[in-house]
Amino acid sequence: MSRPLARLTGANNYFEDFPAGRKMRHARGATIDEVENNYLSKAVDNTAQGHWNEHAVRGGPLGSGRIVFGLITGSMVIGLASQDTAENALAEVGLDKLRFVSPVHHGDTIYAYSEVLEATDAPGRDDAGLVTFKHWGVTHDGRLVFEGERTVLLKKRSHWAER
Amino acid sequence: MADFDPSGFELVKRGNQYEDFAVGQRWTHHWGRTITESDNVTFSAATCNWTPMHLNVEYARAHGHPDVVVNPMLVLCTVVGMSVEDLSEGGGPFLGVNQCTFHIPVYPGDTITAESVVEEMRTSASRPDTGIITWHTEARNQRGELVVDYRRTNLVAMRKAAR
Repeated sequence: MSRPLARLTGANNYFEDFPAGRKMRHARGATIDEVENNYLSKAVDNTAQGHWNEHAVRGGPLGSGRIVFGLITGSMVIGLASQDTAENALAEVGLDKLRFVSPVHHGDTIYAYSEVLEATDAPGRDDAGLVTFKHWGVTHDGRLVFEGERTVLLKKRSHWAER
Repeated sequence: MADFDPSGFELVKRGNQYEDFAVGQRWTHHWGRTITESDNVTFSAATCNWTPMHLNVEYARAHGHPDVVVNPMLVLCTVVGMSVEDLSEGGGPFLGVNQCTFHIPVYPGDTITAESVVEEMRTSASRPDTGIITWHTEARNQRGELVVDYRRTNLVAMRKAAR
């Protein structure tokens, strides 16, 4: 690298910065439209045409128009939270209790919120720790659409901030 | 087109209903998918996930990886996508994902295949036309190594209610 690694990422989002109970409202929202749902659902081989056939779901039971693939909504929430929660991650470890609480349609804008549920040592290593977040996704009009837990292996400032 | 009569064409049906499933039954999902650098960049950018581990190859190499680490949310979306025709295209909302573990990194050029086993199924007292099914899905790379596994739960329409 032409620059030290630590100069490529933020200085305030290491393991030590995530005590249990910390709550964050992330700065940016994102509107879900053609690229985010229509294209990505097809790009990940999701054959359910309710995500990309406007005609098939006109007047459907979940509201008119294409329904956003729940994991696209979830991926957007985690993406919107990623700089604040995983920019200094060594690995994404896992997810749990993902719930697609209500339908999302094209044109909806998603905002992300996170809370630190737990921060623990990582077995077998002292340069990083495990942080479990709970994430929420909320639309522009205040509707909860997604919630879920996510565990990441995060660098410790003590070991990585000068590298 | 004057002599084209669509009523003479039989629909090639896709998807399964509740009655097509049984506890313990294994589904070997179609296609397999090589996840490319293009997939990773498009997905990560479109979901606002600019984490350098996914988008800066020199950064990823400095952490011991041979290439960028494919965004695990893309891996999860692709595995679910490949399973949709077998498991959920027959109709019914996606309820949730539990116990999702990312076992090893996926790199651009890796090819993923997926299988699912029916773990639980039950009918819904409040919705007599719909059941609830939980599958355990495992996805492996071209070397047969377990990449991700998770449990997914959906409402699944019953055949007697299907149009």
